[in-house]
Amino acid sequence: MLELDDLTVTYGDLTAVDGVSLNVRDGELCCLLGPSGSGKSTLLRAVAGFEPPDRGRVRIDGQDVTDMPPHRRPTSMVFQDWALFPTKSVAENVAFGPKMRGVGRADRRAAAQEALKLVEMTDYAEADPTDLSGGQQQRVALARSLIVEPDLLLLDEPLSSLDRGLRETMQVELKRIHDRVETTMLYVTHDQNEAFTLGDRLGVMEAGRLVQVGTPEAVYTDPVDRFVESFLGSPNLITCRVVDVDEGPTVETPFGVRVPAPVDPDRLTLGDDLVVSLRPERLSVTAVPAAATDGGTGASVLATVVERVYRGSDVRLRLSVDETELFVKRPIGADGGLAAGDEVTVRWAPDEATYFDTSGARCR
Amino acid sequence: MSTRTRRLPSLGGRRTLALLAPLLALDVLVFLVPTAYLLRVSLTARTPGGAFVEGSWALDGYRYVTETSLVHEILAFTLFFAVLVTALAVAVGVVYAYAAWCATGWTRTLLLGGAVCSLFTTLVVKLFAVLLVYSPQGLVNDLLRAVGLASEPVLLVDNLAGAVIGQLYIVVPYAILAVYAVLSSLNTQLVEAARDLGADGSGVFREVVLPHVRPGIAVAAVIAFTWSVGAYPAPLLLGSGSEQTVGILVSQLLLARFDWPAAAALSVVTAGTVFGSLLVVLWRLDLAGGLLDA
Repeated sequence: MLELDDLTVTYGDLTAVDGVSLNVRDGELCCLLGPSGSGKSTLLRAVAGFEPPDRGRVRIDGQDVTDMPPHRRPTSMVFQDWALFPTKSVAENVAFGPKMRGVGRADRRAAAQEALKLVEMTDYAEADPTDLSGGQQQRVALARSLIVEPDLLLLDEPLSSLDRGLRETMQVELKRIHDRVETTMLYVTHDQNEAFTLGDRLGVMEAGRLVQVGTPEAVYTDPVDRFVESFLGSPNLITCRVVDVDEGPTVETPFGVRVPAPVDPDRLTLGDDLVVSLRPERLSVTAVPAAATDGGTGASVLATVVERVYRGSDVRLRLSVDETELFVKRPIGADGGLAAGDEVTVRWAPDEATYFDTSGARCR
Repeated sequence: MSTRTRRLPSLGGRRTLALLAPLLALDVLVFLVPTAYLLRVSLTARTPGGAFVEGSWALDGYRYVTETSLVHEILAFTLFFAVLVTALAVAVGVVYAYAAWCATGWTRTLLLGGAVCSLFTTLVVKLFAVLLVYSPQGLVNDLLRAVGLASEPVLLVDNLAGAVIGQLYIVVPYAILAVYAVLSSLNTQLVEAARDLGADGSGVFREVVLPHVRPGIAVAAVIAFTWSVGAYPAPLLLGSGSEQTVGILVSQLLLARFDWPAAAALSVVTAGTVFGSLLVVLWRLDLAGGLLDA
């Protein structure tokens, strides 16, 4: 459907998009996830035709559109601030695309009504877009883009200026509309939850490069590098030192405990740093007396509870081990009613942790 | 719970008056007094011996304006001239301002700087320059012949074309700036949205740019129209003599024929016409939700 081949966009010295290759499948909702400034919006704008690429090709349905102006491309974009025409009514906004394609007044009115029905905004057809709430403007913008039946719908953080509750409602709504119209969508966001909720697949961007593409599950469980790991919300990145390579790779944590690191020994050099990432939900916590029964397969360390936050769906614990902080997420009832100040044993399975070398590359 | 309402500190009546006094004095001195004097003179009796009959009350001046067919012709021509110049000035202003808005970097600086720079030149210098450039031996005619558009010199001055061109050189910079001021607040994302939805260059201009600059167009039109109704130097220097405007006639009445009541009455009638037509335009724009909303 959409094929990006080595796409590169530069602004002077700054490389905003750096050699991105990506295939989006027909009917797929693909999210581009990354921090601000990672080039995801620029990539989207290059696909829409607003940013001429310095290198690389953009193909849609096999057709090379790299040199095609925006108004001829089979794409349509929902802008971050929706960009509704303030001098036109809601219905005129929605009917704009058909009007530019020479559709007659009556036909485009009917089409606009139909599109407004899809986003449940028929009651506001004659309203002034500036009088609408953010969520309503968002719906109108969506209808305005969908009415031209684009092969590819581009969405540039369309929900980022809505408050949280509304954002979640709109995510569900978008998913419903996507299922309904089956348009291929490329969706840019910096919000991991949004990308996970919406995306059939997602691509993680860092500094203009597309570092990993896959289903949310694949990306979350198997990050390719330290950036993806930390961007997807792992707060426990612990820099350890390699103390044994040949007799079963072992690292020493900054808090003095030696633990096995099941990593290809060829990737390790004695004395080097190795970053161990411990996902908060994969750490188990028990009150100190139980610590005596260690099976030997796991790694464990004594810690003090600094803070316990009850979040309804789970409990978050902030622990300290010497100078190091560890964050733990446990299901309700599984934390044994701990309170700040309690001494606990934290335990993890070394083969469930992820390891990265000093350059940030994943070690397996 | 008590609700505290904060009130703006109100200025005492005397304080307000003291602050307003200089402005009021200026207003009275430079505007009200001369206007009242003009009105008074327009209501005096005409006399062949001097400017007007001191202390008399008469409608001689207005009778001259309503009964002389030459005055009617000149009034009609002046309005025609002003409307023509206004339409052209607005058209040029919108296109020029849009070009400047689309341009980036030094091109934009050059385009806007050019418009502003032309305001630095005095009127007379500007008009003589126009006379030179557009004369049969001038630059424009050389150019027309060079590209083969004309074999004979085209008469661009000493006629209506000359008067209109001259007047355009006076009002177009203001039209450009008025439109550009509004255009600069246009969100570029709206242009991109229109392009994205299939609008080509003319579609974007018609559907997004024009609706946005309407208030600027109104301001440009008001400036161009009021200025052109009072056109004097451009038709005098660059017209043929049959391009007589009210301004030229008033100066003749005032200086050559020494007929002050007629000159004053004609001025009052012209000012009334301009004021009336502006009110109509503003009222129409308000109905359409244009100027006063923006």
